[in-house]
Amino acid sequence: MWGMNAIEEEDRLDADAAKQVMRRAARMAAPFKRTVLSAIGFSAITTLGLLMGPVIVRYGIDDGIKPADSGTLRTAVIAYIIVVSIAYVSSRQQYIFINRAGEGFLRLLRIRVFGHIQKQSLAFFDRNKSGVLVARMTADIESMAELVQWGLLQFVSAALLLTFSFILLLILSWQLTIVALLVMPVIVIASRKFQRDSNAAYLDVRDNVGSNLSTLQEGITGVRVIQAYAREPEQTRRFEESNRGLFRSHLHSLRVSTWFFGLVEASGVIASALAIGIGGWLVNRGDVTVGTAIAVLLLLAQLFEPVQQLSQLYNTVQSSTAALDKLFGILDTTPDVADGELALPASGAVAVSGVGFRYPETESLVLDDVSITVANGERLAVVGATGSGKSTLAKLMARLYDPTAGTITFGGVDLRDATIGSLRQRVVVVPQEGFLFGGTIADNVRVARADASDGDVRAALDAIGALDRFEQFEEGIHTEVRERGSRLSAGERQLVSLARAALVDPAVLVLDEATSNLDPGTEVIVEHALESLMGSRTTIVVAHRLSTIRRADRIAVIDAGKLAELGTHDELLAINGRYAKLANAWASSQPN
Amino acid sequence: MTETRSDTRSDTRSRWALLRTTLATQRRNLTIATLIGLLWMCGKVAVPWLVGIGIDRGIEADDRVWLWSGLVAAAGVASGIFTAFRRYYAFREARWTETKLREQLFGHILRLHIGYHDRSQTGQLMSRSSSDLQQIQAFVVMIPITLSNLAMVISVTVILALTNPLLTVVALAPLPLVNFAGRRFSSSIHPAVQAVQQEQAELATVVEETVSGVRVIKGFGAESVQSAKLEVEADDIRRASIDAAKIRAKYLPAIELLPQIGLIGVLGVGGLQVIDGTLTLGELVSFNIYVALLVAPLRMLGMTIAWGQRAAAALKRINEVLDTVPLITDPEQPTALPTAQTGSAQTGSPQRCAPMGAVRFDRVEFGYDDDLPVLKNFNLELAAGQSIALVGGTGSGKSTVARLLIRFYDAEAGSITIDGVPIGDLALHELRRAVGVVFEDTLLFHDSVAANIAFADPAASHDAIERAARLAGAHDFIVGLPDAYETELGERGYSLSGGQRQRIAIARAILADPRILVLDDATSAVDPSKEHEIRSAMSTVMDGRTTIVIAHRPGTIALADTVALVDEGRVIATGTHDHLLATDARYREVLAAMSDADRAAAGPTGSGRS
Repeated sequence: MWGMNAIEEEDRLDADAAKQVMRRAARMAAPFKRTVLSAIGFSAITTLGLLMGPVIVRYGIDDGIKPADSGTLRTAVIAYIIVVSIAYVSSRQQYIFINRAGEGFLRLLRIRVFGHIQKQSLAFFDRNKSGVLVARMTADIESMAELVQWGLLQFVSAALLLTFSFILLLILSWQLTIVALLVMPVIVIASRKFQRDSNAAYLDVRDNVGSNLSTLQEGITGVRVIQAYAREPEQTRRFEESNRGLFRSHLHSLRVSTWFFGLVEASGVIASALAIGIGGWLVNRGDVTVGTAIAVLLLLAQLFEPVQQLSQLYNTVQSSTAALDKLFGILDTTPDVADGELALPASGAVAVSGVGFRYPETESLVLDDVSITVANGERLAVVGATGSGKSTLAKLMARLYDPTAGTITFGGVDLRDATIGSLRQRVVVVPQEGFLFGGTIADNVRVARADASDGDVRAALDAIGALDRFEQFEEGIHTEVRERGSRLSAGERQLVSLARAALVDPAVLVLDEATSNLDPGTEVIVEHALESLMGSRTTIVVAHRLSTIRRADRIAVIDAGKLAELGTHDELLAINGRYAKLANAWASSQPN
Repeated sequence: MTETRSDTRSDTRSRWALLRTTLATQRRNLTIATLIGLLWMCGKVAVPWLVGIGIDRGIEADDRVWLWSGLVAAAGVASGIFTAFRRYYAFREARWTETKLREQLFGHILRLHIGYHDRSQTGQLMSRSSSDLQQIQAFVVMIPITLSNLAMVISVTVILALTNPLLTVVALAPLPLVNFAGRRFSSSIHPAVQAVQQEQAELATVVEETVSGVRVIKGFGAESVQSAKLEVEADDIRRASIDAAKIRAKYLPAIELLPQIGLIGVLGVGGLQVIDGTLTLGELVSFNIYVALLVAPLRMLGMTIAWGQRAAAALKRINEVLDTVPLITDPEQPTALPTAQTGSAQTGSPQRCAPMGAVRFDRVEFGYDDDLPVLKNFNLELAAGQSIALVGGTGSGKSTVARLLIRFYDAEAGSITIDGVPIGDLALHELRRAVGVVFEDTLLFHDSVAANIAFADPAASHDAIERAARLAGAHDFIVGLPDAYETELGERGYSLSGGQRQRIAIARAILADPRILVLDDATSAVDPSKEHEIRSAMSTVMDGRTTIVIAHRPGTIALADTVALVDEGRVIATGTHDHLLATDARYREVLAAMSDADRAAAGPTGSGRS
């Protein structure tokens, strides 16, 4: 009803920045220029039509009613009907045109920003919390929808109405124009104060709503713990506290805003009173006609709403510029993974030499001077404690990040010099958990190669021995997996994820082994799939299970970012170092 | 379920009954709001009348124009003051209704049995207490406002009809159309707006999955696939939004311009009457202003009807929750648990109280669904102070045992007793204080570490909290947190690792000092190296305390003195771990399956990403 477009103080842009944002938005909206101009044109026609009403009434009174000329009165009525009809038609058009332009602009913005987000490196995604990126694409863009749907239109028509009315008033009577000028400043100042106060109050309400909702959610999700500890009364009391806090903030916002509505209503009537008083005085002096006084009276009644609307739009415009500014910030981020020019050879060894890595804006090295060469067809298990850097090493080998020191090559070509396209064909990473997108099983496998046919997808699933399992579903590989693949079991999700790798048929496979439990039945199938996928491919596996480690040709132990040990299982047991300790810890955590 | 007509009617009655009862307590303030509304109405209605007289006597007859002008201003000031107060009272009362109903709802939700919570979604219950209450609030606001608006519409119509019946018909004829168009508009814009929101949610899903799955997308170079998906959603939003805009374009100009037809009629018909001398010019102008005056109230009447319908739907959903009777309640006359002093002299170490907390499950039957029994003829007996590990495959029913013991569910047959008292005879809070459960998935509240540990007893001393934390092996990492024991946890607070959360949950149970402790595989997320520490700490806590360990992993079995093998809802063997391992083939089988599933978690590196 009011103040729904509250804006945080720190989000407010200064005038210069806001102007720049607006100018850039205008450039971006250039394709919609004609649509916007049409909307403004229709809006001007509508506004003029509305203003003609009082003028026609004046004509009807002064030239029709006063001299008792019913013919002129009829002319006035017909003119009035025509004007209202034109206003109706053009008013409809203004809505359509402004929305067409606005929604087109938002669509463009959505596609551009999303495309730009996708171009960014993984480091960008590490830096920006996923929630923030989603908010940019949703809440920030949606916050502009309001402006597009009616805000812009209201702004344009209110501005036009004020300008036209002022001109009209001056034409009708300069003396009566002063009446309007007496009341307007009061409304303008009051509106600004109202906006400021209610904005602050609304932000407070919003905070209270937020904390009330999370107390509520905590109560509902924690009901088992609360009941188990018989804390229902205490928890209810706590909820009441936050609930009453919310009520108080509502009351506060009501208190700071309510007077405004009274003031607006009173000043509207006072303006009419002045029009009668001053108008009557002028009529009796013979300066203006009765019709003019009445026309001014009716005009003034139309003037209060736009002034109020304009000042209320102020916040909407400000929060939209703030949102736009954030979106432009994303568009201004240059992607920091550049494409190379060489194609990678079909096969070769992966050589990591002197590699160091540090996440941007952090001090400590995650990897420090690591050198390992994985021969063509070799299987290397990488082990280490949580945070040792073993997963980072795997990511570097697939160039999800670039090392900050040293080089990683495949078949002698530095990964940084390779085209991203050939790199994704030769080296494939299979992440820990099978991450699925909305869509069918086939869609999800096809993530690996968009142009793959159903036959290719089936072959990939078959290669890892998973085809039969999915063909059993009623809709086979065209089964919708639902959001995040919730339709499938954890094991099945991993199978789909492995089939993606099979579809690419890469030379090098980088696996981050899952740590979560699968039910024993699926476990066997997933393991079998993994085994057939690895086959004789060069494989680097970040291993969590002894069985996987035992099947590797060599084992690399990463400790605090350094390569601590490298060798076969037996060799490493023989030196009785870190690996031996880890293996023992594993064995002892089994009963007996 | 089929709904008969009479059902629906009684349903409607009880639906509004809830709102009536709540509003009854606010009768005084609602009456004040309505009375203020009537005063406002008087001021409002006086203005056009005074303007008319001002024109006729003040301007046309040049008689005391400033007096009439002053009276108009005075009426304006009065209606301004009353409109502010009307708004204040209306909103305040509506917010109060919302506040009270929310508290009622929350208290009820907390009392509802766990079986209800199993079936309902958090989001659903959340929207009952937020958006549904909003709908009701919006409707309550309209009650005093609508009453005074209605009074205004009636009195204006009467005044006009008394002045000039013909002109009244001409002037007011288009107004019902405004009302009608307004209703049509809100009923057709509502689904259109929902369609836009639906499309927006779909786009959000694409963005969200892209951001979360960015490693997969980058790994396969699948950016274009996601871009294509997003473009489809962006197109859908635009289409749905433009559809909504078309509805606005159809109705809003009509609603705005329809009153003008009345004004044209007044000018034409009224103008002729002025020429005839049957109407004064002032009366013509006041008709004009009256028409403008009625537009807003009529538009609002349409809104009130729409809000009323939405509030009715919201009330129905809220009533569904409030009408659910909690199935697990206190007995009418609770029995107290025997205390150590009054209990019979039991064997135990002479320097301390005899341990209490004997548990007995006798021929217990239970299933979550009627046709799917989980426990069948389940028997288990634990002497006070004894500890036992329940071992069994997935679906054997072992976790259900704990849930029955604290009456999250009631057994269908058989009896469960603690120290000889059937648990159904105990007051719920006494039962639940006597049994401390550490759940498999730990939940921490948005509060300090200390408050989370002292959950069972907010008045606990810092020493007691620290002691519990030490026993749970949590003290060391807690003192390393930014504000140690005062660190805020929970969704908006500091986030702990799974193992740390579990240790806090164990500390919570230790502080509650229950007679019977149930650990539902409480250490599953704890790092293997820490698990050892916790195990030794736990043995201190478990010493002399009845403990049931529900083992999902072989490692936790060692915590207990004896083992009960649960299979298909029954205890099929009891004994020590070594004994069962040597004698029971099924035990070895279950254990082997558990070890298989356990390999990942027990691996040398623990969980989490590096």
